[in-house]
Amino acid sequence: MLTLTNVTKKFGELVAVNDLSFKVEDGQIFGIAGPNGAGKSTVYNLITGFYPYEGRIEFNGRDLSGMPPYKIAKAGIARTFQIPQIFPSLTVEKSISVGSRFGSRDGLDEDHVAEIIRFVELSEEKNQKTGHLNLLGKKKLMIGAALATKPRMLMLDEPMAGSNANEIKALMDLIRRINGEMGLTIIIIEHFMKVLTELTEKLLIIESGAMICCDLPEVATSDKRVIESYIGDAYVER
Amino acid sequence: MFSEDTILLFYEITDVIIAGLSTGSVYALMAVGMTLVYGVTKAFNFAYGDFFNMGGYFAWILIVGLGLEFGGYPVVLLIVMPLLFAVGYGLEKLLVAPLRKRKDWENKVMMMTLGLALFLTSLYMVVFGVRMKSLPPILEGTWEVGQLVFSYQDIMIFVMSISGILIFAWVLNNTRIGMAVRAVAQNPVGATIVGIPKERIFATTFAISTVMVGFGGILLSQKWFINPNSGGIIMVKAWVVTALGGMGSIRGGLYAAFIIGMLEAFVGWMFGMSYGIIALFVLLLATLVLRPQGLRGKGE
Repeated sequence: MLTLTNVTKKFGELVAVNDLSFKVEDGQIFGIAGPNGAGKSTVYNLITGFYPYEGRIEFNGRDLSGMPPYKIAKAGIARTFQIPQIFPSLTVEKSISVGSRFGSRDGLDEDHVAEIIRFVELSEEKNQKTGHLNLLGKKKLMIGAALATKPRMLMLDEPMAGSNANEIKALMDLIRRINGEMGLTIIIIEHFMKVLTELTEKLLIIESGAMICCDLPEVATSDKRVIESYIGDAYVER
Repeated sequence: MFSEDTILLFYEITDVIIAGLSTGSVYALMAVGMTLVYGVTKAFNFAYGDFFNMGGYFAWILIVGLGLEFGGYPVVLLIVMPLLFAVGYGLEKLLVAPLRKRKDWENKVMMMTLGLALFLTSLYMVVFGVRMKSLPPILEGTWEVGQLVFSYQDIMIFVMSISGILIFAWVLNNTRIGMAVRAVAQNPVGATIVGIPKERIFATTFAISTVMVGFGGILLSQKWFINPNSGGIIMVKAWVVTALGGMGSIRGGLYAAFIIGMLEAFVGWMFGMSYGIIALFVLLLATLVLRPQGLRGKGE
């Protein structure tokens, strides 16, 4: 579904992404992890058209290079950010309908918007201004707006950041439902290894923009290079 | 019951209020346009006042220069409004959009629009000369209610400005383009990842603001005069309105526009028109010292 081939991104002298290649299969939940500054979010920004790059990124056989972010959204790739990107003075319903109206190839689909609001469990808050939602509500809203674009793949950037145990459980459940019930391919950047090992089918570990390992989660987390450079002994012993 | 002097004073004050409402409504129209472009693109447009002149001059070419007799102002507006939109859209794409990709682009856009303002002022001098020009009133005559006399011109300016603002508000709240503008103003990154072409919205916003200030130019050129330098004064007034209302606040800009319209009218009546601009600067300084965020802007 998504293929990165020899992708490199430099900011001046800094090599943020270094000759990175990997493949995400249709219907998969694919994890990306690595230390802070490893280039995880930069990879997302390259896939979604925020920066130009060297190499090739293909989505369902279509070359994404040179496409602006809004066209990539229309091509079926939706994403979220670590800090919720919301429209504070719009209501929950309006915010989600923005995704449907502009991101979906079918245009505004009010039934679909209503279904998404129910799906992300924001029915009670649908007439509230989004600026008044709590953090979990804002994260669900951002996922809802992304889903309203009727994507084929959803990319989540550290969705658990700043969440407590109950919120993490709720978000993990939502991610499983998006993958299981909607059939969406999901890529997830996360620091909580437990979340990644429980959710994902394949895990990519990067450091300094380069791949250390890309394998099944249980294989990746026991890889010697991954233990040394990222997760440390403590995780393995536990 | 009232002495003749008191009644005379009442009539004079009513005249001043009508004049203040009339010019205030045009300032409100211009303030909405300026606030819109600042709110969405976060860049200050110093050529804004020269688009006021552009509206006035385009209408002058049609009505006075070419002697357009068919259809009057409705036909003029039908021709000039799309023309202003095209000029605004084209200038944004040609001059502003390339700068937005650069570092420190806000300052670069300010400097570029300052250059554009000087260019347009010089262009108007070459094409139209330095002599003042004015447009005929949309509607001539007066409406008398007892002893009170209202000029149709003032009434039409007020009605058309308020109509312009209401149409803008309707577009912003009820149309696809309006929703895109609101989304980009609130969160450009969030807007682009749900499929909104941010760059196109920036250009459209610039074009809409050009139409609004140009429309203001057509309205006020009937009451005042235009000359190549009048854009500078309009720019100053638009800046005072925006600062008093609060940067980025449309509602604040509306309040401020009517306050300034009234202030100018009353100061002009009491001390003479040339004191109006001094009153504006005093108000600007007082605002910046006492309430830098303006009436409706967000504080630190």
